[in-house]
Amino acid sequence: MRSSRIIGSAMLALVVFQACEKNEAPVAVPTLTEKTVSGIPADTIVGLVNGQPVGAGKFSFFSFETNAVVPSTDSNSVKWDVAVRGTTIITNGGNSGPGVGGAFVYVGTFDDLKAVPKDSVFRQDNVPTSYAVPNASNKGWYVYSPVSMLITPIPGRVLVFKTAKGKYAKVEILNYYKGGVTPSATATDAEKLKNQRYYTFRFAYQADGTMNFK
Amino acid sequence: MTSTVVSAQRGNDSSLKNLDQVVTHMNLDEVVVTATRTPRSMGNVAIPVTVISSKTLYQSGSLRLNDILAEQTGIQVIDNFGKGLQMQGLSSEYTLILIDGEPLIGRTAGVLDLSKITVKNIRKIEIVKGPSSSLYGSEAMGGVINIITDRAGQNKTDLGLRYGRFNTVDGNLNFSRRFNKTDIAASLNYNQSKGYSLKPNAVQKTVEPFRRSTQSLGIHQQLDAHWKAGASFRANASHIDNTIFVQNLGTTIASKGFEKNEEFNFTPYLQFKQEQKIQSTLRGYLTGFNAVQELAVKNATGGYDDRFKQRFARVENQTDWQMTANAAFTAGAGVVRETVRSNRYDSASTLRSNTIAYFFTQHEQKFSPQLTMIGGLRFDANQAYASVWSPKIALQYKAAEKLKLNISYGRGFKAPDFRQLYLNFTNLAAGAYSVFGSEVAVSEIKRLSAAQLLDQTTALVGSLSALKPEVSGGLNAGLVYTLNPSSQFTANLFRNDLKNMIVTDVIAFKKNGGQIYSYFNLKRALTQGIELGAQQKIGQRIQLNAGYQFLYTADKEVLQSIKKGEVFQRSLSNGQAFRMSISDYGGLPNRSRHTANLKFNAENAKGYFSTIRLIYRSRWGTSDLDGNGLINRSDEYAKGYVQVNASMGFPVHTHWKCMAGVDNLFNYKDIQFLPGNPGRTAYIDIQFIF
Repeated sequence: MRSSRIIGSAMLALVVFQACEKNEAPVAVPTLTEKTVSGIPADTIVGLVNGQPVGAGKFSFFSFETNAVVPSTDSNSVKWDVAVRGTTIITNGGNSGPGVGGAFVYVGTFDDLKAVPKDSVFRQDNVPTSYAVPNASNKGWYVYSPVSMLITPIPGRVLVFKTAKGKYAKVEILNYYKGGVTPSATATDAEKLKNQRYYTFRFAYQADGTMNFK
Repeated sequence: MTSTVVSAQRGNDSSLKNLDQVVTHMNLDEVVVTATRTPRSMGNVAIPVTVISSKTLYQSGSLRLNDILAEQTGIQVIDNFGKGLQMQGLSSEYTLILIDGEPLIGRTAGVLDLSKITVKNIRKIEIVKGPSSSLYGSEAMGGVINIITDRAGQNKTDLGLRYGRFNTVDGNLNFSRRFNKTDIAASLNYNQSKGYSLKPNAVQKTVEPFRRSTQSLGIHQQLDAHWKAGASFRANASHIDNTIFVQNLGTTIASKGFEKNEEFNFTPYLQFKQEQKIQSTLRGYLTGFNAVQELAVKNATGGYDDRFKQRFARVENQTDWQMTANAAFTAGAGVVRETVRSNRYDSASTLRSNTIAYFFTQHEQKFSPQLTMIGGLRFDANQAYASVWSPKIALQYKAAEKLKLNISYGRGFKAPDFRQLYLNFTNLAAGAYSVFGSEVAVSEIKRLSAAQLLDQTTALVGSLSALKPEVSGGLNAGLVYTLNPSSQFTANLFRNDLKNMIVTDVIAFKKNGGQIYSYFNLKRALTQGIELGAQQKIGQRIQLNAGYQFLYTADKEVLQSIKKGEVFQRSLSNGQAFRMSISDYGGLPNRSRHTANLKFNAENAKGYFSTIRLIYRSRWGTSDLDGNGLINRSDEYAKGYVQVNASMGFPVHTHWKCMAGVDNLFNYKDIQFLPGNPGRTAYIDIQFIF
């Protein structure tokens, strides 16, 4: 249901976009999109290998421009900006994709970040040595508790992206579990594993190529 | 000659002749030994001290040390790796527990499990709050609890039997006799329970069946007018069944096994005493703690095997010199050797050891009938970590006959423990993380690097160095106001500033994604608050006691970050992050801001008694849920509650006493955050005294 909603909104965005082209009055069109996206699966658990839970090993690709999931057949294109697999986030740039994408982690609230600071350095993926968005507990966007075995996004971390086509977006990851609800610490392991790897995030995308999020 | 009475305790004990009278009710004339390591009447000690008498222990129906401590003002019993003590907001690892003046060992993750100590052979418990490292060394940061078991000279034998819910059985025999110049005291205790499940239909019990036993024997011999010698021995054992079910994606893995803890203490001493002038005691202390946990996985190979063997040996001399009527001097010195063998560190055959040499002095000066000062200083030189000085100064001013003012400042410390120095642990189940003690971390990193298993190291690797002891500065300022013999009011303000606190942090990442942790002296924290107490006697029969503690705790680094606007929290309603303010910060976990108790005790001349005790604890932070690692959001707290305990009893016959009670009368339960609370438990207890 969630994915159909996403596809639905993606189609809507497409319609709007086409409409814009027709009336050719870009000045009047707001170029900043702000959306909350829920239920993006990120290589959900399919089974156990040597006692360790594993997914199918596939990334989910997402485009800020279209606010939609991009099929993995387009992974070697600039149609996607960011992809997720478990807690790993890659950008369409560096050695992850053909785009010019990159990212860095901004410390502050989503609303604090009114524009990308001029002196920002966008990191690029150099997988598997390093990621634009550091992929470790308490180093990038999330913290993992070995006690509750839950993943929680760190509050006050905004991921600032340069998209595949060189535009800018900011993202606040809100939750890592199905339905945007983290299971209770006392939930069974099975429940924690079954429901994990579903991203809920909000983002702002600036289509005009500037660094402003206003 | 009554001076043989408290031989296991240091010092002059002539004032203990009216033993039963003294312990009957709270009394400023009561002699306490823990605060200054010399016998002093409680009203003359400038340091907050409370005493729990054997009568209170009996009438409260307490079985284990945690039962009675949970009812004391300013003390919380926290369920984590056993029943741990929290005093002035400092956790179990920062409080020292003594039996007859000697430290108990055998901590798990810093927690000394109070439930392994029976109170059935205790004569009284002394509680000293605030740092006392100037006398006792490591761990005496938040305070000291001294369990005084010695009953020699009482010429009494009592036999007790108790039965309660969950098939709880406690049998106890105490014997003490004086033969001419020899005192003998012995005790036996057996305690068991079948455990319980808080969750209905649970396959795994919340508390597993256990059985425990304690034996003790003390012999004290007056050799001549000046010399006395003696020894006491105590052994303690517990056995806990373990049946553990782990669910992993629908597969249930059952493991069965047991946990066994054994402990012994041996204390020989030789004492010289010349009138009230000089007393010198040479004491040996040997204690050992062995813990074994074995788990076998059902229908499969593998399992868990944990062995931990700790030894602590000490020789010490303490000499007390009453210089003049107004000046007393104490000096002491000793050597400690501590060893551990455990498969948590390398292998069970590798011996880890530390040697400590120390001395301490204390001077007490009475400047006027109103003003007394105590100054103390201790130095601990350690082999395995940095040395440490612990000073303390205390002043008492008797402002008026009814009003006493006390102020004291001391430094406390806690030595890095063997876990922090030598742990070598890799958890293969949860994220393949590893924890290495500071002394082994560098070599382990090198080994992993050579084996091509290391991905990258963090900047912290460079700051790996020998751990320093954690230290605190503690200030206590209070008053005792005695309106009349029936009413008394006490107040004490306290503040503890802790630094060099040892925390774990990531030093490297493995190629398989696992993190490697080690220990660092990084954290600073504070605990502060006020403790209030009131006692009121109504007529001859009713006694009312009320206590309250306000507690504020914080991690100082966190306070700083919040002030800089660098700390965020996540809203419960929309999931979005926003900046945290100081007032949102809940301080250190497991601390309740408000705790209180109210106790009624009625007793008549025939010995009929009843008690009702209300224990209140406000909400306390449990764990972070919004990713900032802090306690801040309302759902990160456990609910506050009141527990009501009641008891009553009467003498059946000259030699028979019987009592019954109900703990947790209103059956308060919190399955998630109070697993150690089984709900309402009733019991009946009989005692035969001859």
